[in-house]
Amino acid sequence: MSQTQTPANASAADRGPTAAERFINGILPENPTYRQMLGMCPTLAITNGMRSAMTMAAAVLFVLVCANAMISLIRGLLKPHLRILVFTLTIAAFVTIVDRLLAAYMYDMSKQLGPYVPLIIVNCIIISRCEVCAAKQSLPIAIADAVGQSLGFALALASIATIREILGAGTWFGLRVLPAAWPAWVIMVLPPGAFITLGLLMGSVNWFLARRQEARG
Amino acid sequence: MISAEVLLAGGAMAVLAVALSYVLGWANRTFHVEVDPRVEAATQALPGANCGGCGYVGCAEYAEAVVVKGEQVTKCTVGGASVAAALARLMGVEVKESWPYRAVVHCGATSAQRLKQREYRGEQSCAAANMISGVQGCTYGCLGFGDCVTACRYGAIAVRDGLAVVDYERCTGCGACARACPRNIITMVPFKAERVLVVTCSNKDTGKDVTAVCTVGCIGCGVCARLNDLLQIDSGLARIDYDRYDPATADFAAVLSKCPRESLVWVGKPTPKDLAAVADKELPSRVEADFKTTVDQTEWRG
Amino acid sequence: MEYVSSLVLIAVSAAFINNFVLYYSVGICPYLGVSRRVDMAFGMGCAVTFVISIAACLSWALTVFVLRPGAPLATWVWHWLRPDSAGVVDLSILNYLVYIFVIASSVQFVEMYLRKFFPPLYKSFGIYLPLITTNCAILFACLEIMKHVSGVPAAQLWDLGRALALAAFGGVGFTIAIVLMAGMREDLDLCDVPQALRGPGIALIVAGILAMAFMGFTGVDRNLAALLR
Repeated sequence: MSQTQTPANASAADRGPTAAERFINGILPENPTYRQMLGMCPTLAITNGMRSAMTMAAAVLFVLVCANAMISLIRGLLKPHLRILVFTLTIAAFVTIVDRLLAAYMYDMSKQLGPYVPLIIVNCIIISRCEVCAAKQSLPIAIADAVGQSLGFALALASIATIREILGAGTWFGLRVLPAAWPAWVIMVLPPGAFITLGLLMGSVNWFLARRQEARG
Repeated sequence: MISAEVLLAGGAMAVLAVALSYVLGWANRTFHVEVDPRVEAATQALPGANCGGCGYVGCAEYAEAVVVKGEQVTKCTVGGASVAAALARLMGVEVKESWPYRAVVHCGATSAQRLKQREYRGEQSCAAANMISGVQGCTYGCLGFGDCVTACRYGAIAVRDGLAVVDYERCTGCGACARACPRNIITMVPFKAERVLVVTCSNKDTGKDVTAVCTVGCIGCGVCARLNDLLQIDSGLARIDYDRYDPATADFAAVLSKCPRESLVWVGKPTPKDLAAVADKELPSRVEADFKTTVDQTEWRG
Repeated sequence: MEYVSSLVLIAVSAAFINNFVLYYSVGICPYLGVSRRVDMAFGMGCAVTFVISIAACLSWALTVFVLRPGAPLATWVWHWLRPDSAGVVDLSILNYLVYIFVIASSVQFVEMYLRKFFPPLYKSFGIYLPLITTNCAILFACLEIMKHVSGVPAAQLWDLGRALALAAFGGVGFTIAIVLMAGMREDLDLCDVPQALRGPGIALIVAGILAMAFMGFTGVDRNLAALLR
């Protein structure tokens, strides 16, 4: 912990990004899926419809915020070599809560999401955020970071799920968007479609960023 | 009061935690491996490039060799003197003075200076061209197809006008180019100063046999060896003894003026005078291929 | 014989038809990260298979005997504490916590064991072991076993053999997928890939095509079942 304490007379800029900055960072600049390449498993598995994607995003939001808050509160007690285990157990507790809530109030969605809700436990995004931010920062900053990253993740999921659902089933959030004559590209709602969509989207993001880099000179 | 179900759940977790802790604690003691902590510190001190220049597969292997087997601390060419000093401090030994080794291409003939060149339409690699006769007159010198360029990971060697040229600001001394050259004309020379004198020829023929194939190669006349005892003629080729080379006392003015060919050359980082000469010019950006392809090397031209 | 054929069906299904990586999309992070060279990929695959088997055995045992509704050990302890209570003892709320605890501990244990008794093996794939703790594939195997063990009637309860077949061959399927991917990526290094797609982009697209290829295995289990009958 000693290396993260700053002298009392350091300016605010030296203490790292503020809460608001972390919030904005998490959405696009440090987007967990496109920039950090974390949390790939749910991204590929449950994005075959907007409804399941957004439910997963909400679940991740809940778990990330609660886990960050809890870890931030107990950050003074963490021993270095046990901290990953503590993070994982905390996250597992909150994921159990979310899983039971979903099974109780949204049973069909819970069945559709299946084993991917408990897999939030080993989602790299949450562990990485706990390790990088929550274990070292105070409560408001940790929560802002969690919300920002979750919104970024939701944005990434939405982008993939939109493409997959519209092309694969002609619907969006279950509402018909394309005419019924559209031959649904079933491959898009199957696992290969997930891989290819994410690969092409990553390529587009990289291309766009490279163009912006060139334009800046 | 806490309900009995919660107590049972909590109790079950507690029992599991205690049991697993006991098992892991036992495993920790039983499976304990004695590891010298200096190996970890040595690995940290090394640059971590895993280039193989020290002769070991990776930095971790070399660190282990240094700590456990007492290997020399001066073998890291990329890290140089500072890394050698750090390792020496760690091991408590004294490091003899060591110098960085840098690659030197022992050929100074550009395409224009090579004679008896023939049109070559085979695989554009030195290894392939070396296997057939008659690509160029000199059978010892640089072929210029760039096997060394492909081998270098630091972008420190390039082929200009058909001759491989080393960029001493980027060369780390890993030796990849020396290993790649099929004619073995790149050697690793200790750079006891920023610029050293080298013999830029590998042609072991003498006299007319050399002048027939190259306008600048060493003819083995022996004038330099007579004037300076650091130079010797070894089977028709001048050679500098780098072990005895001392930049402070070496005086090469006489040999440089008397050498009838252009085989004795200063190489190394650019001097302030060189830099000043091009200071007002716009340096072109390096044009580098942005893809690797096996097709180029086998392209049949024509 | 029927038991062996059910094992074969579970194994084939876990390794090829419902491949962990290419059908269920779990274990993607190491899949993209370690699949650059065939020898590294094979090492990672072996490490994952090894840990998955151990973790599956332990989690099966804990689920069957302690955690599932009506588990013997839990019921016994409960009746010892509260002799006159009725109802089914259900500790399945602790499932995820216990699984993750078991996985983390078994990874730690395997790492220590390898380091002591198989130093060359430790050198070759010991560095992947900490990565495996957060590998979705291991937890996913435990969850798949849980589906067949927790909350099912006693007649359909999976025994250790079936659980181990699912886990071990799931690991084998992971290894096959990751080694195939590594072979393809080694060749991709020599190709003219557009700048934007280099790295994870093209890797994912190739993985998608590989997933499409593996879709060709659908229906194999039905025909295999008919054959084995």
